Amino acid sequence: MAVKHTKKLFIKALNKKFGKDFDLAGQKVEYKRLGIEQSARKREFIEYAKKVEGKRGMTGYNPMVHAGGIPMGQRQLVPYKLSGTEYVVEGDDLHFVNNPAIQQMWDDVRRTIVVGLDMAHEVLQKRLGKEVTPETINNYLEILNHAMPGAAVVQEHMVETHPGLVDDCNVRVFTGDDALADEIDDQYLIDINKMFPAEQAEALKAAIGKTSWQAIHIPTIVVRSCDGGTTSRWSAMQLCMTFIDAYNMCAGEAAVADLAYAAKHAAVLQMSEMLPARRARGPNNPGGLSFGFLADMVQTSRVAAADPVKVSLNVVAAGAALYDQIWLGSYMSGGVGFTQYATAAYTNDILDDFCYYGVDFAADKFGGFAKAPKTLDLAKELATEVNAYGMEQYELFPTILEDHFGGSQRASVLAAASGITSAIASGHSQVGLAGWYLSMLLHKEGWGRLGFFGYDLQDQCGPTNVFSYQSDEGSPLELRGANYPNYAMNVGHQGEYAGISSAAHAGRMDAFACNPLIKVTFANPGMVFDWADVRACFGKGGAREFRAAGERSLVMPAV
Amino acid sequence: MAYKPQFYPGSTSVGINRRKHMSGNLEKLRDIPEADVTAIMGHRAPGADYSSTHPPLKEMGEPDCPVRQLVAPTAGAAAGDRVRYSQWTDSMYFAPSTPYWRSYWGAINCKGCDPGTLSGRQIIEARERDIEAYTKAQYDSEMTDVALCSMRGCTVHGHSLRLEENGMQFDMLARTEMGKDGNVYAVKDQVGIPLDKKVNLGKPMTEAEAKKRTTIFRADGVPMCGAVGARKYDEAVEALHHMWELRSKWGFRPE
Repeated sequence: MAVKHTKKLFIKALNKKFGKDFDLAGQKVEYKRLGIEQSARKREFIEYAKKVEGKRGMTGYNPMVHAGGIPMGQRQLVPYKLSGTEYVVEGDDLHFVNNPAIQQMWDDVRRTIVVGLDMAHEVLQKRLGKEVTPETINNYLEILNHAMPGAAVVQEHMVETHPGLVDDCNVRVFTGDDALADEIDDQYLIDINKMFPAEQAEALKAAIGKTSWQAIHIPTIVVRSCDGGTTSRWSAMQLCMTFIDAYNMCAGEAAVADLAYAAKHAAVLQMSEMLPARRARGPNNPGGLSFGFLADMVQTSRVAAADPVKVSLNVVAAGAALYDQIWLGSYMSGGVGFTQYATAAYTNDILDDFCYYGVDFAADKFGGFAKAPKTLDLAKELATEVNAYGMEQYELFPTILEDHFGGSQRASVLAAASGITSAIASGHSQVGLAGWYLSMLLHKEGWGRLGFFGYDLQDQCGPTNVFSYQSDEGSPLELRGANYPNYAMNVGHQGEYAGISSAAHAGRMDAFACNPLIKVTFANPGMVFDWADVRACFGKGGAREFRAAGERSLVMPAV
Repeated sequence: MAYKPQFYPGSTSVGINRRKHMSGNLEKLRDIPEADVTAIMGHRAPGADYSSTHPPLKEMGEPDCPVRQLVAPTAGAAAGDRVRYSQWTDSMYFAPSTPYWRSYWGAINCKGCDPGTLSGRQIIEARERDIEAYTKAQYDSEMTDVALCSMRGCTVHGHSLRLEENGMQFDMLARTEMGKDGNVYAVKDQVGIPLDKKVNLGKPMTEAEAKKRTTIFRADGVPMCGAVGARKYDEAVEALHHMWELRSKWGFRPE
């Protein structure tokens, strides 16, 4: 069961933000207008900017040009506590440019591809007459972990990549076949039995069956120089060369074309779909990433399955950073404002408090998670209760209202709590989505305000797409994504939708939300980002404790 | 029997006030001089000519169009005025109006206007002489309290922040200030450019009066859903549930 509510989880964070003895419930305050000097990070920026200015020979960062000479900090500049952790960082530390962990999270997605082994093995055996045994597979994997980072096989006098620049690259295999898994060298195996709780492992193995797959993570530095679309090309070339080397094949005979197709293209799972021309992005870019896939990438479900709120909120955090801060905030728009929208969902334990309140309410009433009826009435009851509770907290604790100073921040948090509660209680993502939309309407009705033009238009018309069966609008939430027609340009929604997708399955204690291959692939212990504890990893990034991959300092003069 | 619009459900003061705002049947509380409203808006100097984007309609030789024959142009449209704006920020601490109710007021009562609704600000755009009139109407009426509401073209944050100790809504650019005489003064225009002279906006509402006139549901005022453990839904919630359910079912459309 979830932690029993209601403890006003946000109070600890507010005390850290505003000061221990601060009146959190006061509606009036003296604004001291102390400016940017309040913030250690802003002071650092100013100091560094002076150095940079001398070097550049032109002006740069200068907060005194802001708002006609009135700098930020006319109110208290407060830090942020990463929800569910002890990390307290400055807001600036959560902009993805300043946070290597957030960058690595996205890099880990776009550098990943899942490629089947079975069809290639069939071609080797039936078309080329080669023997495939556990020994040959292990030999192949050894060669592949040499080649995939960018090293040469088969050909002579080739250039290669520096192993120190590409040390995050690795390929491991996984299978639902325990007998085959036993034969694979441990260093090359994602051992489902070890990585997942027993029930989840059984469910995953049953879903994967006797098939075998390669979890391929190409070097971070490659996707940072190119983009996610390169991942399939990079991996495909190295896969094919490795097969030629490992199985002593002719590099030019026509049969290799059959192998190349089988090894490179026949059984490939990109992390995200290619987008239509107007979005102009290849596969493995964030706009095509489905909510269900993101829910499966996050690994909290295998380490904290008994706490479905925690599972869901780590997915929300990953989605808020990826869809809002990186995709919408940078690929699609630009600027710095999107960080403020996104952080509301994963800082200061506010969404956590609302969710635990709702889930405890539902669990008490229906006898546990995923036990409530999967109906509109259920969404109505729970979303109305949770939304009302959340609005009341904003009213009774003006410091929370001040923390979420924009209506779209509050709208995301209230609706996410309503949706996650409804999804965990019912075990059904569409019921969760119905709760989301009702929360939006109730919020607007209560306060006479919601988000902004482009934010809440989708929420005011959104209930019609919850149960629609029309092809362009009726997908189950798990299969919708950032480019779903009504969601394509709206900050503060997509991470939360991913969280609701996750919540339905976390409530049911499912081993995965959408795709077992994704779930196992991201259990790879060789991932650089900590997918089991997303928010803590963001905190490490903000606290400058996280070491990302893909750095170039090895081949540059020291600063 | 003539049709009588039923703007909003509920018998609480919030429901009643919302109906008043939508109907336009608002109490006038003050009379800010037109020239002062123009100065605060900041689009033209008081007394200056209106800039235009096209000649007066009468000089343009308009086409024979049944819609144009049916709809009389506003004064600003007839004169060819450019389109300008006024934008308001209303505190969540019992400001009389809220962004959606300013928009509903505008859409229902102000001809030729384009309201835009956000969480921390609400904008209405219209031909310049029309928006000046609409802005004065807002300033003068019970929609506005001069401490809890202010015109802000940019840097609008304040609606959700705690109030200043003197009861004023926070404004980073300090466009208004509380005078020693208890009156509120506008000292900068919408976008924060200092005015040539302070504009006396009069005394703010007391907290009790603001609570009486507000259109916002709050736990410490008129609650929308009762309280934890003692839920009691306002009629507005019942109506909303009905609409949400119908919208959800219509999307399914199992015909």
